[in-house]
Amino acid sequence: MKTTNWNRFFIICVLCSVVAGAAGIQLIRIQNIEGAKQILANSEAYQGINRVIYPERGSIYDSEGRLLAGNEVIYEVGLDLQAIEQPETVASVASSVLGLDYARVLGYTQMTPGNGNPYFVVLDGFVSKDKIAQLESIKEDYANRSTKRGEVRPNLLGLVWTANHKRSYPEGTLASNILGFYSFLDRTDGIGYFGVEEAYDDLLAGEPKEVYSAIDPNLLTSLEEVPPGVTVQLTFNREIQAMTETKLDEAMEWSGAENGSIVVYDPETGEIIAMATTPRLDPNEYWNYSELFPNPKPYNSAISSTYEPGSVFKVITMAAGLDSGVVTPETTFNDTGSISVSGATIYNWNMGGWGEVDMTGCMQHSLNVCLAWLGMQLGPDRFYSYLKSFGFDRNTGIDLGGESHWPLKLPGDGLWYEVDLATNSFGQGISVTPIQMVTAIGAIANEGKMMAPHVVKAMVIDGKQYNIDPVVVGTPISAETAHTLTTMLVNSLENEASSALVEGYSLAGKTGTGEIATPLGYTNTSTNTSFVGWGPAEDPKFLVYIWLEKPEISIWGSEVAAPVFSDLVSDLVVLMTIPPDNVRLAEKPGNNSLVILE
Amino acid sequence: MEKAMKKNLLQAYKQAPWRTQLQWIGIFLLVLVGVAVVAGVYLMISGRAAATGRRIQSLEAEISALEMEISDLKTQYAEVSSAKSLSERADALNMTMLDPLEAMYIEVPGYVPPSQPVLAPPPAVEEISTPVLLPEFTASLWDWLRLKVFIEPSLPAESTESVTTESVTPAPIEVVP
Repeated sequence: MKTTNWNRFFIICVLCSVVAGAAGIQLIRIQNIEGAKQILANSEAYQGINRVIYPERGSIYDSEGRLLAGNEVIYEVGLDLQAIEQPETVASVASSVLGLDYARVLGYTQMTPGNGNPYFVVLDGFVSKDKIAQLESIKEDYANRSTKRGEVRPNLLGLVWTANHKRSYPEGTLASNILGFYSFLDRTDGIGYFGVEEAYDDLLAGEPKEVYSAIDPNLLTSLEEVPPGVTVQLTFNREIQAMTETKLDEAMEWSGAENGSIVVYDPETGEIIAMATTPRLDPNEYWNYSELFPNPKPYNSAISSTYEPGSVFKVITMAAGLDSGVVTPETTFNDTGSISVSGATIYNWNMGGWGEVDMTGCMQHSLNVCLAWLGMQLGPDRFYSYLKSFGFDRNTGIDLGGESHWPLKLPGDGLWYEVDLATNSFGQGISVTPIQMVTAIGAIANEGKMMAPHVVKAMVIDGKQYNIDPVVVGTPISAETAHTLTTMLVNSLENEASSALVEGYSLAGKTGTGEIATPLGYTNTSTNTSFVGWGPAEDPKFLVYIWLEKPEISIWGSEVAAPVFSDLVSDLVVLMTIPPDNVRLAEKPGNNSLVILE
Repeated sequence: MEKAMKKNLLQAYKQAPWRTQLQWIGIFLLVLVGVAVVAGVYLMISGRAAATGRRIQSLEAEISALEMEISDLKTQYAEVSSAKSLSERADALNMTMLDPLEAMYIEVPGYVPPSQPVLAPPPAVEEISTPVLLPEFTASLWDWLRLKVFIEPSLPAESTESVTTESVTPAPIEVVP
């Protein structure tokens, strides 16, 4: 009996072991058969997915930290065809809320996924939050709706929406010529065009990253860090930019000019404080670009349009004359009203002679003959050497997309004639961009040091702010020459009682009227009017360059551009908190403590 | 005689058959309970890990959604405080641009004008980063046991403290426009 019990127990243990062993063997076997490997391979697809994460495009701020280009949430609405239960309901709601064609949406909802048909159909890639709120409200209403026995509760299963970023420019057209635009409609291959968006496209875009996202919670990995694109802080001030654009628009309307550009520049650092041009595109609707800028109209005329500047260029010639020692402010010139160079006769703007005038008088009366003479005194080698030092043979390198320049004609080019030396001396026969003029004349306002013009003040990379230091790109003239010329231009403005003056502030400046070349020769019935001025003269904080193309009200820069300068600077000094000379110079030691009270 | 003695001794010390069976059953049950306990613990930890994993997934999704919302709100704020919008409000309040000659300037001793707004800390500030997911959430039961039983006890006191050091990543200074 005892032996029988033991045997029974032994048999049970053996049976259990055999069953367990068989189960174990079977477990091992089914994990190694071909089908199991296939199942295992298939299961890996459900453990996680590889996806490309596009980082949030970097934001753009003004110098005061106000957002100029950011990102807003927009939704992609689509149909998950496998999940749709009620095609008519989905089509009805989607078409009414999103404004889509009912028949088309219904057609999608009734498609059978697979066998050549897609599993997912995008209905609209850019749906606003308001519309998504409507869809959510309807969905909630359906979910809470009470139904009678046998009645089917309506649902929107299969209608799905996903949040995405969309580039947004909250200031609309403000500074759009500086910002450029980003083609956000192309979600995966969008790029920046013009301005900062183009120049810093790679940095703003960041690095898209392919990451593995585990669906199986047991395989969870850390959330892959995809840093956003670089955030950029610009040098210009939004309020000054808005004011400058307003002044430009008013000037355009008042003068009847075809186009215009105004650049406000800090000669000490090379920072662009404001840059207004016409026309301006709303980058939120960048698809209007070709309509607003028919070829070959440049997007930002301040950096892309070349023109013959006329008399504002005399500032450069005089700087070269003074710096080389060819003339001094006291050097006199007997102006007979014309000068003959290589068979061509050059006249003053009024076709008259001014007799014996000193160099300040030449600038004050803007005498072509005097400056042509000075150019001849300098000779081609020195004159063009100075022009190259001032950067007229190249782009300024401003950090904006789309800069261009007109090649400088030089002796020996084949296109250069001796008369060009004379005409170039007073700004004809030479083409420049406003930014070239600003950069070059900035050297005169900054003790001879020419600063690299730039619009980016700082960048935030990986959460760290890197400030951009000012860069000296050349010293075309000495500090002494710069001081002397500034004083001459202050005196010439005051002696002339120019309409560019601003009461209470010492300003240096020069008008310009450039004739426009046509296939039939130069015409003086339509001109390019300009003005360049800087102040306060003893310690310049700003340099303003104005260009109004083909004004109707007058052909003269002194009558068109100069008053605009005065009007603009009157507001600029307030926005930049620059007190009048009597206050500023009296309080020089404690300058920092001055604040505007009212 | 000797043989009989040996048999008697064996009989005297031999376990009763029912006792031997009980021992075997006991050993079998003990192994069974041991396996059940280990399986239970493994199941519990796996369950908790899975639940935590799901929660992390949903938190990650929430982080993404919140980051998008932050960007969106910043943009919305910029829109309502845009230059055009503020200008219209100023006009509605009959505000005009100040004439520079009418401005009154006062001297404020010690006043330093505000400097350039800071969008983020300078690069000199170092970051000490720690992984977002602690090993407790990613290690297997065996890894965890090995860490707790073999590795951590053998580490000096300072090293074990460093495991729990909190991130001191400097929070970016937000711009308040």
